[in-house]
Amino acid sequence: MATTRNYEPDLYPDDAIDRWNGKQESADDYRPQRRAAKRRVDEWMEVEFKFGGSRIKRKALALVLLGAPGLVPLLFMLPALITLNKNTFSVSVDDTLGTGAELCLFLCLLITPMVTLTGQRWFVPLRRWYGIMMACCAIGDALAAGLTDTFAGGFFGRVAGHVFELMGFMMVMLVIPLLVTGNHWAQRKLGRFWKPLQRLTYVIWGLLAFHLMLLEGFGFQRGSNGSGFAGDGDPIFHQRFYQYSACSLFLLTLRLPPVKRWIAARQSEGRNWLVHLTILPIFALFVFGMIFIVNEEIFKGIDSFMEHPSSE
Amino acid sequence: MSETYASGARPERRADSVMTVAISVLAAVLVITGLIYAAGTGGRHQAVLAAAGCEPNLSPSGLQCTTVQMLTSQYVAITTPAIQQLNTDVAAYTANERHHLAAAEAALRAEVTSASAFGASLARFPFPPTIAPAAKVLVEAIRARVKLTAEQARSASLTQLRSFNGRVNVAGVAVQTEMKLIRKALAARPTANQEP
Repeated sequence: MATTRNYEPDLYPDDAIDRWNGKQESADDYRPQRRAAKRRVDEWMEVEFKFGGSRIKRKALALVLLGAPGLVPLLFMLPALITLNKNTFSVSVDDTLGTGAELCLFLCLLITPMVTLTGQRWFVPLRRWYGIMMACCAIGDALAAGLTDTFAGGFFGRVAGHVFELMGFMMVMLVIPLLVTGNHWAQRKLGRFWKPLQRLTYVIWGLLAFHLMLLEGFGFQRGSNGSGFAGDGDPIFHQRFYQYSACSLFLLTLRLPPVKRWIAARQSEGRNWLVHLTILPIFALFVFGMIFIVNEEIFKGIDSFMEHPSSE
Repeated sequence: MSETYASGARPERRADSVMTVAISVLAAVLVITGLIYAAGTGGRHQAVLAAAGCEPNLSPSGLQCTTVQMLTSQYVAITTPAIQQLNTDVAAYTANERHHLAAAEAALRAEVTSASAFGASLARFPFPPTIAPAAKVLVEAIRARVKLTAEQARSASLTQLRSFNGRVNVAGVAVQTEMKLIRKALAARPTANQEP
């Protein structure tokens, strides 16, 4: 493939978060001393097993199981779509599909750090899958908000009438080219331009910070303005911007060249335990943030699924 | 380190270690702070409930308690868009009732769909026991109006169509009266602390 020719032999793992395509080689391939151990899991995943009358790779099954949660946000809104329940869309589509898009973005961005830490690559196709799911959720959210929201100003007033909405609208506009070019054909056609284009994911990641900041008063609870109005007395944990920050620290840190250099040096010394020990608190913070985002998604999603939307 | 140089990659710097460890320590501090803060969740929850009033076991979302404020907010969130939609449908009907039978009937069918969904939402709403009877009357009133509107939408002529207006208006007044009663009851509802 054309883009793999551009990779330099590098000590630290390939930073390819912007690729939703999992079929490319990584910089890991240039490190024979690490390859053998790390490829053991990859090789195990390539083994086929019998399922009914056909043979399926273990990797395929694992990818289906790990990728299935990406469909959940859309599934939550399905009953409201089938019954054309405008009320459910109006009240909770932003929480269900918006939070779903955020989750899918984080899972998409999580792939590269996991490759860096484990050296395994069998789960790389999930990056593309979660990217596509993120795009579907974001576009669905924008369409539903534009058609059913209670803000004034028609469709565009509803999707871009406030600054935080404008940020969301820009994210949706950026996600469209990513969705359209997230395939092998587009990758071949765009050649060396494909990778820079996919880096728009970073812009979306940055815009999401502003979107969430503006949505909830820059992370400060003021009266009922903010996610802490849910009534459980925990305004801080429910602030979406804080959740975003907790998750983003891990995703960002594992992309910093100095950190990647440090990890690669420790791994080449055979001191993986030190890498895991050092990264553990950052990963714990990521999990801490994700728990509240997933909780929000399940809480609001089930209410949407039951067509009894929650406006909390 | 020698392997690093041998592989031709950029050498590791001391700053790399400092940065990695600094971020790790920062994350550890944040996690520990978060856990300490989380340990006080129960107390803060109770304080919020005591301050805002509490309706035990009403939440559809599995919370132990729903405040009156939350309940009212949920009720408003259901009724506001539904009423807006119904007003739009009624306006479309009014605009066509004298000139365009098909358009007027289409508006009535849209109203039937909106009102049915609204009634179903209210039927599932976890009203407090004291308001539940009034809510039941409201749902019945909505159903009666829906039935009448559906019948009206099957009219063969504009004259027949308009002949339903009086009965539909009466049914509409019944709905409005019940809605006002419920809104008033939710707004004036005593908190758990004030209840006997």
